[in-house]
Amino acid sequence: MESKFVYLQPTPVRIWHWLNALGIVTLCISGAQIRFPEFVTICGNYRSAILLHNTAGIVVALSFSFWFFYYKWVSGALTSIYVPKMNELSHPLLRQVFFYFYGYFKGASSPFHATPDSKFNPMQKSAYLAIMFVIVPFVSLSGIALLNIGPIRQILLTVGGLQILVIVHFLLACILGAFLMTHVYLATLGSTPLAYFKPMWTGWEKVEHHHSTEELPETTD
Amino acid sequence: MKNFYQNFYKTAVAASALTFCCMLPHSGQADPGFSFGNAASGNQACLDCHADMYKVGKKDLISTDMFSHTTHAMFGCKTCHDTISADHPKDGKVARTTTCTNCHSDIAAEYATSRHSQEVSNCNACHNPHNVLKPDEISALAMTATCMNCHNYNRIKATHAQWLPQTDLHLGAITCVTCHTKAKNYIVSVYIARRNVKTDTSSPIIADYSYLSKKIDSQKVQYLVDRNRDNYISIEEIKMFNVNPENKDLYLKAILTPTKTSHAFQISDKSWNCTFCHAAGPSATQVTKLVLPNQDGTFSGFDVEKGTSITSLNAIPNFYMMGSSRNNMVNKVGMLFLAGGLIMPVGHGFIRFLTRRNRRKE
Repeated sequence: MESKFVYLQPTPVRIWHWLNALGIVTLCISGAQIRFPEFVTICGNYRSAILLHNTAGIVVALSFSFWFFYYKWVSGALTSIYVPKMNELSHPLLRQVFFYFYGYFKGASSPFHATPDSKFNPMQKSAYLAIMFVIVPFVSLSGIALLNIGPIRQILLTVGGLQILVIVHFLLACILGAFLMTHVYLATLGSTPLAYFKPMWTGWEKVEHHHSTEELPETTD
Repeated sequence: MKNFYQNFYKTAVAASALTFCCMLPHSGQADPGFSFGNAASGNQACLDCHADMYKVGKKDLISTDMFSHTTHAMFGCKTCHDTISADHPKDGKVARTTTCTNCHSDIAAEYATSRHSQEVSNCNACHNPHNVLKPDEISALAMTATCMNCHNYNRIKATHAQWLPQTDLHLGAITCVTCHTKAKNYIVSVYIARRNVKTDTSSPIIADYSYLSKKIDSQKVQYLVDRNRDNYISIEEIKMFNVNPENKDLYLKAILTPTKTSHAFQISDKSWNCTFCHAAGPSATQVTKLVLPNQDGTFSGFDVEKGTSITSLNAIPNFYMMGSSRNNMVNKVGMLFLAGGLIMPVGHGFIRFLTRRNRRKE
Protein backbone atom coordinates (compact mmCIF):
# COMPACT_ATOMS: atom_id res chain seq x y z
CA MET A 1 0.00 0.00 0.00
CA GLU A 2 1.42 3.35 -1.09
CA SER A 3 0.46 6.75 0.14
CA LYS A 4 0.92 10.20 -1.27
CA PHE A 5 -0.17 13.76 -0.52
CA VAL A 6 -2.85 15.35 -2.64
CA TYR A 7 -3.61 19.10 -2.60
CA LEU A 8 -7.29 18.68 -1.90
CA GLN A 9 -8.51 21.93 -0.35
CA PRO A 10 -7.50 25.22 -2.04
CA THR A 11 -7.00 28.24 0.21
CA PRO A 12 -10.30 30.00 -0.64
CA VAL A 13 -12.19 26.84 0.20
CA ARG A 14 -10.39 26.48 3.55
CA ILE A 15 -11.05 30.11 4.46
CA TRP A 16 -14.68 29.63 3.56
CA HIS A 17 -14.93 26.40 5.53
CA TRP A 18 -13.57 27.75 8.82
CA LEU A 19 -15.42 31.01 8.49
CA ASN A 20 -18.56 29.02 7.92
CA ALA A 21 -17.79 26.70 10.83
CA LEU A 22 -17.26 29.60 13.21
CA GLY A 23 -20.38 31.32 11.93
CA ILE A 24 -22.62 28.27 12.17
CA VAL A 25 -21.45 27.37 15.68
CA THR A 26 -22.08 30.97 16.73
CA LEU A 27 -25.51 30.85 15.14
CA CYS A 28 -26.38 27.61 16.92
CA ILE A 29 -25.37 28.95 20.34
CA SER A 30 -26.90 32.41 19.98
CA GLY A 31 -29.97 30.94 18.31
CA ALA A 32 -30.44 28.58 21.25
CA GLN A 33 -30.35 31.56 23.60
CA ILE A 34 -32.85 33.50 21.50
CA ARG A 35 -35.19 30.53 21.40
CA PHE A 36 -34.71 29.38 24.98
CA PRO A 37 -33.68 32.47 26.93
CA GLU A 38 -34.67 30.90 30.24
CA PHE A 39 -32.14 28.08 29.85
CA VAL A 40 -29.32 29.40 27.66
CA THR A 41 -27.40 32.52 28.72
CA ILE A 42 -24.00 31.81 27.24
CA CYS A 43 -23.95 34.97 25.10
CA GLY A 44 -24.61 37.22 28.05
CA ASN A 45 -27.77 39.23 27.80
CA TYR A 46 -30.51 38.78 25.27
CA ARG A 47 -29.47 41.81 23.28
CA SER A 48 -25.95 40.43 22.81
CA ALA A 49 -27.38 37.12 21.63
CA ILE A 50 -29.50 38.89 19.02
CA LEU A 51 -26.64 41.07 17.80
CA LEU A 52 -24.35 38.07 17.59
CA HIS A 53 -26.95 35.98 15.79
CA ASN A 54 -27.73 38.69 13.24
CA THR A 55 -24.05 39.36 12.57
CA ALA A 56 -23.13 35.68 12.29
CA GLY A 57 -26.15 35.09 10.06
CA ILE A 58 -25.08 37.79 7.63
CA VAL A 59 -21.49 36.47 7.67
CA VAL A 60 -22.65 32.91 6.90
CA ALA A 61 -24.98 34.13 4.16
CA LEU A 62 -22.13 36.08 2.57
CA SER A 63 -19.81 33.13 3.06
CA PHE A 64 -22.30 30.88 1.32
CA SER A 65 -22.47 33.32 -1.60
CA PHE A 66 -18.68 33.34 -1.71
CA TRP A 67 -18.62 29.53 -1.77
CA PHE A 68 -21.19 29.36 -4.54
CA PHE A 69 -19.42 32.03 -6.57
CA TYR A 70 -16.05 30.32 -6.19
CA TYR A 71 -17.17 26.82 -7.12
CA LYS A 72 -19.56 27.86 -9.84
CA TRP A 73 -17.52 30.48 -11.67
CA VAL A 74 -13.91 30.29 -10.49
CA SER A 75 -13.20 26.59 -10.16
CA GLY A 76 -16.22 25.51 -12.25
CA ALA A 77 -16.37 22.30 -10.28
CA LEU A 78 -19.63 22.86 -8.42
CA THR A 79 -21.58 20.16 -10.21
CA SER A 80 -18.84 17.58 -10.42
CA ILE A 81 -17.94 17.91 -6.74
CA TYR A 82 -21.32 18.33 -5.10
CA VAL A 83 -23.89 16.72 -7.37
CA PRO A 84 -23.79 12.90 -7.34
CA LYS A 85 -24.03 11.21 -10.73
CA MET A 86 -26.78 8.70 -11.30
CA ASN A 87 -24.33 5.80 -11.36
CA GLU A 88 -22.98 6.92 -7.98
CA LEU A 89 -26.39 6.69 -6.35
CA SER A 90 -26.66 2.91 -6.68
CA HIS A 91 -23.71 0.62 -6.15
CA PRO A 92 -21.04 3.11 -4.99
CA LEU A 93 -23.47 4.65 -2.50
CA LEU A 94 -24.43 1.28 -1.04
CA ARG A 95 -20.78 0.29 -0.92
CA GLN A 96 -19.96 3.43 1.05
CA VAL A 97 -22.89 2.86 3.45
CA PHE A 98 -21.77 -0.74 3.86
CA PHE A 99 -18.27 0.47 4.68
CA TYR A 100 -19.35 2.95 7.34
CA PHE A 101 -21.76 0.60 9.08
CA TYR A 102 -19.90 -2.70 8.67
CA GLY A 103 -16.54 -2.60 6.93
CA TYR A 104 -15.16 0.14 9.14
CA PHE A 105 -15.82 -1.93 12.24
CA LYS A 106 -14.10 -4.92 10.66
CA GLY A 107 -11.01 -2.86 9.92
CA ALA A 108 -11.53 -2.49 6.15
CA SER A 109 -10.30 0.53 4.21
CA SER A 110 -12.64 3.09 2.71
CA PRO A 111 -13.65 2.18 -0.85
CA PHE A 112 -13.40 5.85 -1.81
CA HIS A 113 -10.23 7.87 -2.28
CA ALA A 114 -10.45 11.63 -2.62
CA THR A 115 -8.99 13.61 -5.51
CA PRO A 116 -9.19 17.36 -6.18
CA ASP A 117 -11.88 16.73 -8.79
CA SER A 118 -13.76 14.17 -6.76
CA LYS A 119 -13.39 15.09 -3.11
CA PHE A 120 -16.49 13.49 -1.73
CA ASN A 121 -17.74 9.94 -1.62
CA PRO A 122 -21.33 9.30 -2.78
CA MET A 123 -22.65 9.53 0.80
CA GLN A 124 -20.96 12.87 1.33
CA LYS A 125 -22.19 14.13 -2.02
CA SER A 126 -25.77 13.22 -1.20
CA ALA A 127 -25.56 14.86 2.23
CA TYR A 128 -23.83 18.00 0.95
CA LEU A 129 -26.29 18.28 -1.89
CA ALA A 130 -29.14 18.49 0.62
CA ILE A 131 -27.24 20.72 3.04
CA MET A 132 -25.63 23.17 0.63
CA PHE A 133 -28.40 23.39 -1.94
CA VAL A 134 -31.48 23.15 0.26
CA ILE A 135 -30.93 23.57 3.98
CA VAL A 136 -28.33 26.37 4.07
CA PRO A 137 -29.98 28.52 1.37
CA PHE A 138 -33.41 28.23 2.96
CA VAL A 139 -32.23 28.78 6.53
CA SER A 140 -30.30 31.83 5.29
CA LEU A 141 -33.23 33.19 3.31
CA SER A 142 -35.66 32.66 6.18
CA GLY A 143 -33.20 34.39 8.52
CA ILE A 144 -32.79 37.34 6.17
CA ALA A 145 -36.56 37.53 5.86
CA LEU A 146 -36.86 37.63 9.65
CA LEU A 147 -34.50 40.57 9.71
CA ASN A 148 -36.93 42.57 7.60
CA ILE A 149 -40.36 41.05 7.40
CA GLY A 150 -42.15 43.99 5.77
CA PRO A 151 -41.93 43.12 2.08
CA ILE A 152 -43.26 39.58 2.49
CA ARG A 153 -45.77 40.22 5.25
CA GLN A 154 -48.85 39.80 3.07
CA ILE A 155 -47.54 36.57 1.55
CA LEU A 156 -46.79 35.21 5.00
CA LEU A 157 -50.19 36.07 6.34
CA THR A 158 -51.87 34.12 3.57
CA VAL A 159 -49.83 31.01 4.38
CA GLY A 160 -50.34 31.08 8.11
CA GLY A 161 -48.47 34.05 9.48
CA LEU A 162 -45.05 34.99 10.64
CA GLN A 163 -44.89 32.00 12.91
CA ILE A 164 -44.61 29.73 9.86
CA LEU A 165 -41.41 31.51 8.86
CA VAL A 166 -40.07 31.18 12.39
CA ILE A 167 -40.91 27.47 12.47
CA VAL A 168 -39.22 26.88 9.09
CA HIS A 169 -36.12 28.77 10.22
CA PHE A 170 -35.95 26.88 13.53
CA LEU A 171 -36.48 23.40 12.07
CA LEU A 172 -34.00 23.95 9.26
CA ALA A 173 -31.49 25.19 11.83
CA CYS A 174 -32.07 22.01 13.87
CA ILE A 175 -31.42 19.88 10.77
CA LEU A 176 -28.24 21.87 10.17
CA GLY A 177 -27.27 21.34 13.81
CA ALA A 178 -27.85 17.60 13.45
CA PHE A 179 -25.74 17.55 10.30
CA LEU A 180 -23.00 19.46 12.09
CA MET A 181 -22.71 16.78 14.79
CA THR A 182 -22.61 13.99 12.19
CA HIS A 183 -20.17 15.97 10.05
CA VAL A 184 -17.71 16.51 12.89
CA TYR A 185 -17.95 12.87 13.97
CA LEU A 186 -17.40 11.50 10.46
CA ALA A 187 -14.35 13.74 10.17
CA THR A 188 -12.75 11.70 12.94
CA LEU A 189 -13.04 8.44 10.98
CA GLY A 190 -9.72 8.83 9.18
CA SER A 191 -6.60 6.80 9.84
CA THR A 192 -6.21 8.96 12.94
CA PRO A 193 -8.94 11.09 14.55
CA LEU A 194 -7.34 14.27 13.14
CA ALA A 195 -6.43 12.84 9.74
CA TYR A 196 -9.36 14.54 8.00
CA PHE A 197 -9.08 17.78 9.95
CA LYS A 198 -5.50 18.48 8.82
CA PRO A 199 -6.28 18.79 5.08
CA MET A 200 -8.93 21.36 5.86
CA TRP A 201 -6.23 23.35 7.65
CA THR A 202 -3.18 22.77 5.38
CA GLY A 203 -4.91 21.83 2.14
CA TRP A 204 -2.93 18.58 1.74
CA GLU A 205 -4.40 15.16 2.39
CA LYS A 206 -2.51 11.91 2.73
CA VAL A 207 -4.19 9.46 0.37
CA GLU A 208 -3.52 5.74 0.61
CA HIS A 209 -3.28 3.99 -2.73
CA HIS A 210 -4.79 0.49 -2.73
CA HIS A 211 -3.81 -1.31 -5.93
CA SER A 212 -5.94 -4.23 -4.93
CA THR A 213 -9.23 -2.37 -4.58
CA GLU A 214 -9.44 0.26 -7.27
CA GLU A 215 -7.30 2.58 -9.29
CA LEU A 216 -6.90 6.15 -8.23
CA PRO A 217 -7.97 8.67 -10.81
CA GLU A 218 -5.27 10.85 -12.26
CA THR A 219 -4.44 13.73 -9.97
CA THR A 220 -2.69 17.02 -10.47
CA ASP A 221 -0.91 17.35 -7.15
CA MET B 1 -43.90 66.55 51.78
CA LYS B 2 -45.56 69.74 52.94
CA ASN B 3 -44.68 71.41 49.66
CA PHE B 4 -46.07 68.48 47.81
CA TYR B 5 -49.45 68.75 49.43
CA GLN B 6 -49.46 72.48 48.94
CA ASN B 7 -48.77 71.93 45.28
CA PHE B 8 -51.38 69.26 45.14
CA TYR B 9 -53.83 71.68 46.56
CA LYS B 10 -52.95 74.14 43.84
CA THR B 11 -53.47 71.42 41.31
CA ALA B 12 -56.90 70.75 42.56
CA VAL B 13 -57.65 74.43 42.41
CA ALA B 14 -56.73 74.54 38.78
CA ALA B 15 -58.77 71.46 38.06
CA SER B 16 -61.70 72.73 40.01
CA ALA B 17 -61.73 76.01 38.16
CA LEU B 18 -63.05 74.18 35.17
CA THR B 19 -66.29 73.23 36.84
CA PHE B 20 -66.75 75.61 39.68
CA CYS B 21 -70.03 76.97 38.42
CA CYS B 22 -71.87 73.68 38.42
CA MET B 23 -74.55 74.91 40.75
CA LEU B 24 -76.15 77.13 38.16
CA PRO B 25 -79.63 76.10 37.05
CA HIS B 26 -79.74 74.47 33.69
CA SER B 27 -82.17 74.93 30.88
CA GLY B 28 -80.73 72.95 27.99
CA GLN B 29 -81.35 69.45 26.70
CA ALA B 30 -78.93 66.61 27.35
CA ASP B 31 -77.06 64.95 24.50
CA PRO B 32 -78.42 61.60 23.37
CA GLY B 33 -77.23 58.87 25.68
CA PHE B 34 -75.96 61.38 28.19
CA SER B 35 -76.65 60.40 31.79
CA PHE B 36 -74.91 60.96 35.06
CA GLY B 37 -77.43 59.04 37.14
CA ASN B 38 -79.51 60.46 39.95
CA ALA B 39 -76.61 61.43 42.19
CA ALA B 40 -75.17 63.66 39.55
CA SER B 41 -78.31 64.99 37.97
CA GLY B 42 -77.28 68.50 38.89
CA ASN B 43 -74.32 68.30 36.54
CA GLN B 44 -76.42 69.23 33.57
CA ALA B 45 -77.11 72.60 35.08
CA CYS B 46 -73.37 73.31 35.07
CA LEU B 47 -72.86 71.82 31.66
CA ASP B 48 -75.42 74.08 30.12
CA CYS B 49 -72.67 76.63 30.14
CA HIS B 50 -69.54 74.52 30.45
CA ALA B 51 -70.33 72.29 27.51
CA ASP B 52 -70.68 75.36 25.33
CA MET B 53 -67.41 76.90 24.24
CA TYR B 54 -69.12 80.15 23.24
CA LYS B 55 -70.30 80.65 26.80
CA VAL B 56 -67.20 79.69 28.80
CA GLY B 57 -64.36 79.61 26.31
CA LYS B 58 -61.98 76.80 25.51
CA LYS B 59 -60.24 76.85 28.87
CA ASP B 60 -63.33 76.01 30.90
CA LEU B 61 -64.97 73.78 28.32
CA ILE B 62 -66.01 70.31 29.41
CA SER B 63 -66.80 67.46 27.03
CA THR B 64 -70.02 65.89 28.19
CA ASP B 65 -69.20 62.66 26.37
CA MET B 66 -65.91 62.23 28.13
CA PHE B 67 -67.05 63.59 31.47
CA SER B 68 -69.98 61.19 31.60
CA HIS B 69 -67.51 58.29 31.66
CA THR B 70 -65.56 59.55 34.62
CA THR B 71 -66.17 58.42 38.15
CA HIS B 72 -66.04 62.10 39.06
CA ALA B 73 -69.25 62.70 37.13
CA MET B 74 -71.04 60.13 39.24
CA PHE B 75 -70.33 62.15 42.37
CA GLY B 76 -71.67 65.29 40.86
CA CYS B 77 -69.98 68.65 40.32
CA LYS B 78 -70.82 69.89 43.81
CA THR B 79 -68.76 67.25 45.50
CA CYS B 80 -65.60 69.08 44.51
CA HIS B 81 -67.02 72.52 43.88
CA ASP B 82 -69.01 72.77 47.08
CA THR B 83 -68.56 76.43 47.84
CA ILE B 84 -70.11 77.64 44.66
CA SER B 85 -72.27 80.66 45.32
CA ALA B 86 -75.58 81.66 43.87
CA ASP B 87 -73.86 84.63 42.29
CA HIS B 88 -71.57 82.48 40.20
CA PRO B 89 -70.02 83.47 37.88
CA LYS B 90 -70.70 87.12 38.60
CA ASP B 91 -68.95 86.95 41.97
CA GLY B 92 -65.72 85.95 40.25
CA LYS B 93 -64.83 83.52 42.98
CA VAL B 94 -63.44 80.05 42.49
CA ALA B 95 -65.38 77.36 44.30
CA ARG B 96 -62.94 74.95 45.82
CA THR B 97 -62.53 73.14 49.06
CA THR B 98 -61.91 69.65 47.79
CA THR B 99 -58.55 68.60 46.45
CA CYS B 100 -57.41 65.50 44.58
CA THR B 101 -55.76 64.23 47.74
CA ASN B 102 -59.01 64.19 49.63
CA CYS B 103 -59.95 61.10 47.71
CA HIS B 104 -56.66 59.98 46.20
CA SER B 105 -54.36 60.17 49.20
CA ASP B 106 -52.79 56.79 48.39
CA ILE B 107 -51.87 57.95 44.88
CA ALA B 108 -50.55 61.24 46.24
CA ALA B 109 -48.30 59.40 48.68
CA GLU B 110 -47.10 57.10 45.92
CA TYR B 111 -46.49 60.01 43.55
CA ALA B 112 -44.52 61.86 46.21
CA THR B 113 -41.87 59.13 46.03
CA SER B 114 -41.24 59.67 42.32
CA ARG B 115 -38.90 62.13 40.67
CA HIS B 116 -41.84 63.54 38.78
CA SER B 117 -43.24 65.04 41.97
CA GLN B 118 -40.14 67.22 42.27
CA GLU B 119 -40.63 68.61 38.79
CA VAL B 120 -44.38 68.44 38.30
CA SER B 121 -46.53 68.74 41.37
CA ASN B 122 -49.66 69.54 39.48
CA CYS B 123 -52.00 66.58 38.98
CA ASN B 124 -53.74 68.55 36.32
CA ALA B 125 -50.57 68.61 34.23
CA CYS B 126 -51.36 65.02 33.28
CA HIS B 127 -54.95 64.51 34.36
CA ASN B 128 -57.94 66.62 33.56
CA PRO B 129 -60.48 65.61 36.22
CA HIS B 130 -63.28 66.14 33.73
CA ASN B 131 -62.08 63.57 31.27
CA VAL B 132 -59.87 61.32 33.34
CA LEU B 133 -60.62 57.74 32.38
CA LYS B 134 -59.60 54.32 33.59
CA PRO B 135 -56.57 52.73 31.90
CA ASP B 136 -58.78 50.30 29.99
CA GLU B 137 -60.94 53.12 28.65
CA ILE B 138 -58.19 54.95 26.82
CA SER B 139 -55.87 53.78 24.11
CA ALA B 140 -52.27 52.94 24.85
CA LEU B 141 -51.19 55.66 22.46
CA ALA B 142 -53.19 58.20 24.45
CA MET B 143 -51.32 57.08 27.57
CA THR B 144 -48.01 57.74 25.86
CA ALA B 145 -49.27 60.98 24.36
CA THR B 146 -49.75 62.29 27.88
CA CYS B 147 -46.05 61.75 28.56
CA MET B 148 -45.15 63.39 25.25
CA ASN B 149 -46.70 66.64 26.44
CA CYS B 150 -43.46 67.17 28.34
CA HIS B 151 -41.00 64.61 26.98
CA ASN B 152 -39.49 64.85 23.53
CA TYR B 153 -39.77 61.60 21.56
CA ASN B 154 -36.46 62.04 19.76
CA ARG B 155 -34.62 62.52 23.03
CA ILE B 156 -36.40 59.52 24.52
CA LYS B 157 -35.49 57.43 21.51
CA ALA B 158 -31.85 58.50 21.66
CA THR B 159 -31.63 57.66 25.36
CA HIS B 160 -33.22 54.25 24.92
CA ALA B 161 -31.15 53.48 21.82
CA GLN B 162 -28.07 53.38 24.02
CA TRP B 163 -29.17 50.00 25.31
CA LEU B 164 -32.42 49.01 23.60
CA PRO B 165 -32.08 47.47 20.11
CA GLN B 166 -34.78 48.13 17.53
CA THR B 167 -35.72 51.16 19.59
CA ASP B 168 -38.58 52.35 17.40
CA LEU B 169 -40.16 48.92 17.32
CA HIS B 170 -39.88 48.52 21.06
CA LEU B 171 -41.22 51.96 21.87
CA GLY B 172 -44.11 51.32 19.50
CA ALA B 173 -45.05 48.10 21.24
CA ILE B 174 -45.18 49.41 24.78
CA THR B 175 -46.34 52.49 26.61
CA CYS B 176 -44.06 54.61 28.77
CA VAL B 177 -45.85 53.40 31.89
CA THR B 178 -45.32 49.76 30.89
CA CYS B 179 -41.76 50.07 32.13
CA HIS B 180 -41.69 53.29 34.10
CA THR B 181 -44.07 52.27 36.82
CA LYS B 182 -43.91 49.39 39.18
CA ALA B 183 -46.98 47.81 37.69
CA LYS B 184 -47.50 44.21 38.70
CA ASN B 185 -49.71 42.88 35.95
CA TYR B 186 -49.75 43.41 32.23
CA ILE B 187 -51.96 42.56 29.34
CA VAL B 188 -51.44 42.65 25.61
CA SER B 189 -53.88 45.21 24.28
CA VAL B 190 -54.60 44.65 20.62
CA TYR B 191 -55.84 47.64 18.65
CA ILE B 192 -56.96 48.03 15.09
CA ALA B 193 -54.55 50.44 13.49
CA ARG B 194 -54.55 52.02 10.06
CA ARG B 195 -52.16 51.07 7.33
CA ASN B 196 -51.17 52.87 4.19
CA VAL B 197 -52.37 50.59 1.38
CA LYS B 198 -50.13 52.17 -1.25
CA THR B 199 -46.87 51.85 0.64
CA ASP B 200 -47.83 48.83 2.75
CA THR B 201 -46.37 50.53 5.77
CA SER B 202 -47.92 50.59 9.17
CA SER B 203 -48.56 53.75 11.10
CA PRO B 204 -49.14 54.25 14.78
CA ILE B 205 -52.62 55.62 14.14
CA ILE B 206 -55.29 53.67 15.92
CA ALA B 207 -58.43 53.58 13.80
CA ASP B 208 -61.23 55.57 15.39
CA TYR B 209 -64.87 54.66 15.62
CA SER B 210 -66.02 56.69 12.63
CA TYR B 211 -63.42 55.05 10.40
CA LEU B 212 -64.21 51.52 11.50
CA SER B 213 -67.98 51.94 11.59
CA LYS B 214 -67.99 52.70 7.86
CA LYS B 215 -66.68 49.21 7.25
CA ILE B 216 -69.50 47.34 8.98
CA ASP B 217 -73.28 47.41 8.89
CA SER B 218 -73.58 47.61 12.64
CA GLN B 219 -72.90 50.04 15.43
CA LYS B 220 -70.68 47.41 17.03
CA VAL B 221 -67.27 47.68 15.43
CA GLN B 222 -66.23 44.52 17.29
CA TYR B 223 -68.04 42.61 14.53
CA LEU B 224 -65.20 43.55 12.20
CA VAL B 225 -63.27 40.88 14.07
CA ASP B 226 -66.07 38.87 15.65
CA ARG B 227 -67.37 37.72 12.29
CA ASN B 228 -69.89 35.19 13.61
CA ARG B 229 -71.15 37.81 16.08
CA ASP B 230 -71.14 35.47 19.05
CA ASN B 231 -69.40 38.05 21.26
CA TYR B 232 -66.41 35.75 21.52
CA ILE B 233 -63.19 36.53 19.68
CA SER B 234 -61.24 33.46 18.73
CA ILE B 235 -57.76 32.99 17.29
CA GLU B 236 -59.40 31.89 14.06
CA GLU B 237 -61.28 35.18 13.82
CA ILE B 238 -58.07 37.11 14.46
CA LYS B 239 -56.42 35.18 11.62
CA MET B 240 -59.40 35.80 9.35
CA PHE B 241 -59.18 39.51 10.08
CA ASN B 242 -55.54 39.51 9.00
CA VAL B 243 -56.14 37.87 5.66
CA ASN B 244 -59.44 39.52 4.79
CA PRO B 245 -58.82 41.65 1.67
CA GLU B 246 -61.37 44.17 2.97
CA ASN B 247 -58.96 44.94 5.81
CA LYS B 248 -56.02 45.89 3.62
CA ASP B 249 -56.01 49.33 5.18
CA LEU B 250 -55.98 47.94 8.71
CA TYR B 251 -53.71 45.86 10.85
CA LEU B 252 -53.62 44.64 14.41
CA LYS B 253 -51.29 46.51 16.67
CA ALA B 254 -50.36 44.90 19.96
CA ILE B 255 -49.12 47.01 22.84
CA LEU B 256 -48.09 45.75 26.24
CA THR B 257 -49.95 47.79 28.80
CA PRO B 258 -50.16 47.61 32.58
CA THR B 259 -53.49 46.58 34.04
CA LYS B 260 -53.01 49.02 36.86
CA THR B 261 -50.49 51.83 36.74
CA SER B 262 -48.51 53.06 39.65
CA HIS B 263 -47.74 56.73 40.22
CA ALA B 264 -44.33 55.87 41.63
CA PHE B 265 -42.73 56.58 38.29
CA GLN B 266 -39.56 54.55 38.48
CA ILE B 267 -37.91 52.10 36.17
CA SER B 268 -39.09 48.65 37.07
CA ASP B 269 -36.28 46.14 37.52
CA LYS B 270 -37.89 43.79 35.05
CA SER B 271 -37.67 46.45 32.36
CA TRP B 272 -33.98 45.66 31.98
CA ASN B 273 -34.71 41.99 31.61
CA CYS B 274 -35.45 41.36 27.94
CA THR B 275 -36.70 37.87 28.71
CA PHE B 276 -39.60 39.25 30.72
CA CYS B 277 -41.29 39.64 27.34
CA HIS B 278 -39.02 37.66 25.06
CA ALA B 279 -39.57 34.27 26.58
CA ALA B 280 -42.26 31.77 25.83
CA GLY B 281 -45.22 32.05 28.09
CA PRO B 282 -44.45 35.08 30.24
CA SER B 283 -47.59 36.07 32.03
CA ALA B 284 -47.40 39.39 30.22
CA THR B 285 -48.41 37.82 26.93
CA GLN B 286 -51.01 35.40 28.20
CA VAL B 287 -53.84 37.83 28.76
CA THR B 288 -55.06 39.63 25.73
CA LYS B 289 -57.81 42.10 25.08
CA LEU B 290 -59.01 43.41 21.79
CA VAL B 291 -59.46 47.11 22.50
CA LEU B 292 -61.87 48.94 20.23
CA PRO B 293 -63.03 52.53 20.03
CA ASN B 294 -66.49 53.59 21.13
CA GLN B 295 -68.60 56.24 19.53
CA ASP B 296 -67.88 58.67 22.38
CA GLY B 297 -64.11 58.48 21.96
CA THR B 298 -63.47 56.05 24.79
CA PHE B 299 -62.26 52.48 24.33
CA SER B 300 -63.59 49.13 25.49
CA GLY B 301 -61.72 45.88 25.90
CA PHE B 302 -63.02 42.51 24.74
CA ASP B 303 -61.62 39.26 26.09
CA VAL B 304 -60.13 37.05 23.46
CA GLU B 305 -59.14 33.43 23.31
CA LYS B 306 -55.95 32.53 25.14
CA GLY B 307 -53.00 32.50 22.77
CA THR B 308 -54.38 35.22 20.57
CA SER B 309 -51.69 37.63 21.65
CA ILE B 310 -49.02 35.66 19.83
CA THR B 311 -51.16 35.40 16.72
CA SER B 312 -51.76 39.11 16.84
CA LEU B 313 -48.11 39.89 17.40
CA ASN B 314 -47.15 37.72 14.48
CA ALA B 315 -49.49 39.67 12.27
CA ILE B 316 -47.94 43.05 12.96
CA PRO B 317 -45.92 44.37 10.01
CA ASN B 318 -42.17 44.27 10.52
CA PHE B 319 -42.62 42.75 13.92
CA TYR B 320 -41.65 39.43 15.36
CA MET B 321 -41.57 38.97 19.07
CA MET B 322 -38.52 36.81 19.43
CA GLY B 323 -38.58 34.07 21.99
CA SER B 324 -42.26 34.40 22.70
CA SER B 325 -43.53 32.74 19.56
CA ARG B 326 -42.13 29.36 20.22
CA ASN B 327 -44.33 26.35 20.01
CA ASN B 328 -43.74 23.28 22.20
CA MET B 329 -44.63 20.81 19.46
CA VAL B 330 -42.14 22.44 17.09
CA ASN B 331 -39.54 22.35 19.85
CA LYS B 332 -40.03 18.60 20.22
CA VAL B 333 -39.64 18.05 16.47
CA GLY B 334 -36.51 20.20 16.50
CA MET B 335 -35.06 18.24 19.40
CA LEU B 336 -35.87 15.04 17.52
CA PHE B 337 -33.80 16.27 14.57
CA LEU B 338 -30.92 17.11 16.88
CA ALA B 339 -31.21 13.71 18.57
CA GLY B 340 -30.98 12.19 15.09
CA GLY B 341 -27.71 14.01 14.68
CA LEU B 342 -26.39 12.20 17.74
CA ILE B 343 -27.02 8.75 16.27
CA MET B 344 -23.67 8.70 14.49
CA PRO B 345 -21.48 10.15 17.26
CA VAL B 346 -23.12 8.07 19.98
CA GLY B 347 -24.26 4.87 18.23
CA HIS B 348 -21.51 4.53 15.67
CA GLY B 349 -18.97 5.84 18.15
CA PHE B 350 -19.90 3.18 20.67
CA ILE B 351 -19.48 0.31 18.21
CA ARG B 352 -16.30 1.98 16.96
CA PHE B 353 -14.95 1.87 20.49
CA LEU B 354 -15.89 -1.79 20.89
CA THR B 355 -14.24 -2.75 17.59
CA ARG B 356 -11.12 -0.62 17.93
CA ARG B 357 -8.87 -3.72 17.96
CA ASN B 358 -9.96 -4.65 14.42
CA ARG B 359 -8.49 -1.45 13.06
CA ARG B 360 -5.28 -1.74 15.02
CA LYS B 361 -4.42 -4.86 12.99
CA GLU B 362 -3.68 -2.70 10.07
